Amino acid sequence: MSTDPATGVVTIGWVQLVLATGLVVLVGALSWRLHLGLEKDLAVATVRTYAQLFLLGFVLRWVFGVDSAALVIGIMLLMIGMAAVTILQRAPDAPRGILGSSFVSMLVTGFSVTFIVTALIVRVEPWYAPRYVIPIAGMVLGNSMNGIALALERTYADLDARCGQILALTALGATPWEAGGESVRTGIRAGLIPTINSMATVGVVFIPGMMTGQIIAGADPIDATAYQIVVMLMVSAATAIGAVLTVLLSFRKRFTDDGVYMERGLRSSR
Amino acid sequence: MLLAAENVRYSVESDEGVLRILDGVDFELSSGQIVDVVGPSGSGKTTLLRALAQLLPGADGALRLEGRSSADIGPVQWRLRVSLLPQITSLVAGTVRSNLVLPWSLKVRSAESPPPEHVLRDALDGVGLERVDLDRDAAKLSVGQAARVALLRVTLTEPRVLLLDEPDANLDEDSAARVAQMTREFAQRGGGVVRVRHHRSDELASRRLRLEHGHLGEVGA
Repeated sequence: MSTDPATGVVTIGWVQLVLATGLVVLVGALSWRLHLGLEKDLAVATVRTYAQLFLLGFVLRWVFGVDSAALVIGIMLLMIGMAAVTILQRAPDAPRGILGSSFVSMLVTGFSVTFIVTALIVRVEPWYAPRYVIPIAGMVLGNSMNGIALALERTYADLDARCGQILALTALGATPWEAGGESVRTGIRAGLIPTINSMATVGVVFIPGMMTGQIIAGADPIDATAYQIVVMLMVSAATAIGAVLTVLLSFRKRFTDDGVYMERGLRSSR
Repeated sequence: MLLAAENVRYSVESDEGVLRILDGVDFELSSGQIVDVVGPSGSGKTTLLRALAQLLPGADGALRLEGRSSADIGPVQWRLRVSLLPQITSLVAGTVRSNLVLPWSLKVRSAESPPPEHVLRDALDGVGLERVDLDRDAAKLSVGQAARVALLRVTLTEPRVLLLDEPDANLDEDSAARVAQMTREFAQRGGGVVRVRHHRSDELASRRLRLEHGHLGEVGA
């Protein structure tokens, strides 16, 4: 065991990493014994975890050293682009051609929530301080992404499930919003429920990763708690803003210009 | 002529290539007339109704209502005059009353007042739903009752043409007879009705047309 003399924090070296990897090897053996067929996936996922996180670590070390506002903004834009693409991959029922909507939603969500937290709540100096802005942006985007993808997927699945009712309402003169708004509400609700549940059980059923990390890094538990509360609230706000924006910006694309819902059978018609 | 359709075409892509569901359909409907469209399953009868209601993206052809082209009327106003009642009854969550006045809760009719209470009550009584309270939860209606409420919801808006997609499918005899009566009364008031039906003729329609291979022709012709 080695300890950082400055902070008193136990540091993790290669030996400890190899030991931790042994846990995955055990799972792989279990998979092989039970014929789960997950050995290759586990191996690839483990290699990716090592590669991606070390790459992130080196990039962050470099970014912290450069200390440039343009670089921070550039990295945020890259993260937002990746999040926008990932959301669409996780929502196969969503209409095609909504990458722009997804990107704009994540752009607004990522920048607004991140800078509200860093500038108004944590009050970092300078405003772009990469040590704060990048990790917080990562948490905002990463955690809200799941809820937004869920909201998008549920909205479009529900629209398809309700296409008969939507047709009947459109025949009565309903606008797309009047005919399909119920599905939008259902989708956004579905996207927010995991975040709300997580807020309700945090600290009782589980200790969140950021708080755990801060405590291990030597922070006072009450300080870590305050940070965690900010993180939970910003993630729920980001999920709500992102889900509402993404669904509302893309919703109309499932309808024709004259307000007819494009159900599954019509999407390949000509 | 109340409703006229000329050279209506609609095709879809399938594994076998382009499938022409409607291949130049011509159709005319007079005021007070009831026309049945029959044909095998998958022949495009529902597709035809949707095309006539301007609810089928990708459909081509000329539609005219009382001499005015669909382009002059606009798709939303067209749908208010040429009203489609889909095969699957879709009542929304709420009471029978909220379903009956639903059309007036929509933006397109925001300037109009919904029918008063006694009109709704008379309408229900007139189709054999005397025992159905306006405050009844619509989800608790039987299939036959729901079908009648859905048809009433459309007829109360007083369209010029009713497009009914298998209006008596899955209904018991009494409910089917009530729906037929509602249809007849609508036509007697000067409206036109197009019905897609699988059942045998109920002697209500003055014309029966058969849709097959994308073409519409008189039954027996």
